[in-house]
Amino acid sequence: MTTLRVLAAALATFGLLALVGGGGWWPAAVLLIGLLALGELWLRALVAETVAPAARIGLGAVSGLVSLPMVAVTLHLLGVPLRSSQLAAGLAVLAVLLGGVALLRERSGPVPDDPRFARTLPAIAIPVVVALVVGGAATMAYVRMPHPQQPGFTSVALGGWAAGIDGPVTFPRAGLDVPIRVASAGEPAAVAQLRVSVGSRPAAPARPVTVDADTIQSIAVHVPAPLTGCLHRIEISVGAASTIFYGRGPAKC
Amino acid sequence: MTLTAPAAVLPETAEPAPGRDHSAVWCAVSLTVAGAAGAVALVAADRAAEWGHGRPFELFWLGMLVFTLPAAYWAGRRATSSRLRLAVIVAYACFTYLPKLLRNPTGPLYHDEFAHWRQSREILLDGRLFEANPIVRVVGDFPGLHSAVASVASLTGISVWHAALAVLIGAHLLLVLGVTVLAQEIWRDGRTAAIAALAYGLNSSFLFFDTQFGYESLAIALWVWTLVALVRAMRAPAKAPIAVLLIAATVVTHHLTALGLIATMLIIAVAATIKRRDAVAATAWLLTLTAAVLTTSWLLWVAPKTAGYLDPYLAKALNQFAGMFSDNGESGRTLFKQSIAPWWEQKTAFVAQGCALAAMTAAAVHLYRTRNRDPLALAMLVLGVCYFPAVLLILTPSGAEGARRSWAFSYLGIALVVAPLAVRLLDRWAGKAAAALLTVFAIVMVGNTAAGMNPSYRFPGPPVYGSDTRALIPEVAAAADWLRATQGRGLRIVADRYSGLIFGSFGGQDPVTGSVTFPTYDVYLTQPGQPVNPALIGQLSAWRFGYLVVDRRMAREVPEIGIYFENNEPIAHNGRPGFTLGQLTKFDHTPWTIKIYDSGNIAIYRFDFASLNVPAIGGGK
Repeated sequence: MTTLRVLAAALATFGLLALVGGGGWWPAAVLLIGLLALGELWLRALVAETVAPAARIGLGAVSGLVSLPMVAVTLHLLGVPLRSSQLAAGLAVLAVLLGGVALLRERSGPVPDDPRFARTLPAIAIPVVVALVVGGAATMAYVRMPHPQQPGFTSVALGGWAAGIDGPVTFPRAGLDVPIRVASAGEPAAVAQLRVSVGSRPAAPARPVTVDADTIQSIAVHVPAPLTGCLHRIEISVGAASTIFYGRGPAKC
Repeated sequence: MTLTAPAAVLPETAEPAPGRDHSAVWCAVSLTVAGAAGAVALVAADRAAEWGHGRPFELFWLGMLVFTLPAAYWAGRRATSSRLRLAVIVAYACFTYLPKLLRNPTGPLYHDEFAHWRQSREILLDGRLFEANPIVRVVGDFPGLHSAVASVASLTGISVWHAALAVLIGAHLLLVLGVTVLAQEIWRDGRTAAIAALAYGLNSSFLFFDTQFGYESLAIALWVWTLVALVRAMRAPAKAPIAVLLIAATVVTHHLTALGLIATMLIIAVAATIKRRDAVAATAWLLTLTAAVLTTSWLLWVAPKTAGYLDPYLAKALNQFAGMFSDNGESGRTLFKQSIAPWWEQKTAFVAQGCALAAMTAAAVHLYRTRNRDPLALAMLVLGVCYFPAVLLILTPSGAEGARRSWAFSYLGIALVVAPLAVRLLDRWAGKAAAALLTVFAIVMVGNTAAGMNPSYRFPGPPVYGSDTRALIPEVAAAADWLRATQGRGLRIVADRYSGLIFGSFGGQDPVTGSVTFPTYDVYLTQPGQPVNPALIGQLSAWRFGYLVVDRRMAREVPEIGIYFENNEPIAHNGRPGFTLGQLTKFDHTPWTIKIYDSGNIAIYRFDFASLNVPAIGGGK
């Protein structure tokens, strides 16, 4: 294959990736072709002579692969953020540079194509494809098989505005409705006791709350204002899990 | 001597005429069937392990050997054509990635995998390289792997984990192919090259360590291909630029591999100088110098933290090694202590080292008798000999990590000098030698793998607190998700090692897990009712740490790997938990810690340093 065709293949793949973007495994195959083409350009630019097929394929693949970090580091040094279009453009520029060097070197005589290369390629590609099919099927089957149940849990967290509590809360005389988030995962539905305490005393009798299996629910819990303006510990618990914050009432301490 | 051999490739093994020999078809069919059977056995092994019944170890090795032994047969068979042999080696490379793929097919699991996953994900989110990594602090300074993974993910739209798998499977394949090509360059024989690749695959890092989402996995492939490029450049200096490209890529990817590359190139350069003082040696020295300059420059100007990161391991390992002689081995470690590996795996781990020693001795005699004067053969012999001192370092707790890492380098030397001896034996006593070599192959593969990786790294199983691979439970992941969803990412948090791993990766936070200079574990260790060290509080406040994660399992369980926070933590490990429940629940009564999340085992507190020392009704100070 001529250097111009390799260059065209590289540019076409990087162009396609830049235009279409991601979405599935086919772009991965396109990128593989692009990197192999880029690797071949590296070899034509730096090693302008016949290389044994296995070594050529390996060196080409390695050179193509290291082009990714090379372009990424270059973009970083230029202050360009690493996004798909910028990466594709960087790879295309590298391909053009390498293609140019290779074409210049070939003016003193092109390196003849090695006929063994085309025969060796299937020796690598066929086992890779078979391995991907067999290994991929085994892996997907394993992932989809039932696995032992992981330990479940019930969590309680401050929700809504309360999730932002970062210091003592000043309570109005009427108290506050504090949103909490109760989540259950991997546990059966259960009834837990919701308790609120202000200072060292319960603020109200415990009331039952149903915690359904594998659900997230938001509950507004009314917390009465602390009796004084001194710092009070406020705890809202659902079963064994609780949230704790601190607050002051409207009266003087 | 091979360095003076013509650069043109030697003729391939004579291809049989079509229609007369169906060995390629037989080989393809047998290896496909064996590969499928092996994959089924590997899946069965993992299922037996995760459900806690059956025989996972036996099934695992059945799966491995049912493919690798026929593959070794086909690769070492004299009549196998060169292309068929190459296909077998490629299939071997692909199959040997399967155990790791099955171990964690859907996401990171090993400690360093979380660091690289996070680093790649951050690049996708922010588009920047060289960001600090809170899990492995030098990872960000070596962007080779994660920039490649992030680029693949960005260009194709696949997930970070899938992009990582694509890069890592490619690197594993290139590693095996690279060893084959390197052996071919040195010995000029496809059969020897194939056997060298198979032998290299016996090293203890091959199946599970150098296949993980870690910078070594890519760097080791770059290391081998750099040596290929070096050998080619020594033969024809005009080919040196490709070697420089690969040296640079190795330096950018992994610190230890870059140092290993310099050491390997140095051995080759010295060997070339001893054997001949001409352009060959000069090229080797020039490229070694290039590697040294690039590595030094990178470590000085781009990754200056690396020396401080590596130093303690080396110094501690040497101290422990010296201490073993003065305290009758008490400071050393006992191999397979409390291991659940079956006795036969443990025994073969020792037998494998004996096999390596015997094989190296025989290979050295073989090289001497055949009057081989190739500097590369001599260099590989020296590299292989380096394997044995590292075996001693495995007896020290801190040296074990380094020793394991070094085997991937030194085993290349063993593989390359033992391969011609194996071919010689096969030529002389075909049947008996094949049976004996396949037996040794199986024993060494079992033994080295057992020596290199704990069963918890190799097999799934029930959650185990304080295990690097089994500590992750949905409860921790859910807490990390909640914190990121409600409070954002990039928060500075105080955590233990295992929570920090998950909050730092999936949670996208910046956890600190304590050190001698920043002993955040003192926050947990402080007794209830006692004030936390004011200097530490001052540090936390000044550095804007906002959250504290408490895993109450620390008061109930002993970590499997004997670490709660970091290696030098001042916590007694005497078989009992290092904390009382009171030490961990004291934060429920201190006004400067607001409990914003609780799921039983995991609690998240927000620091409110302004309320420090303020008494609260119903709480403490």
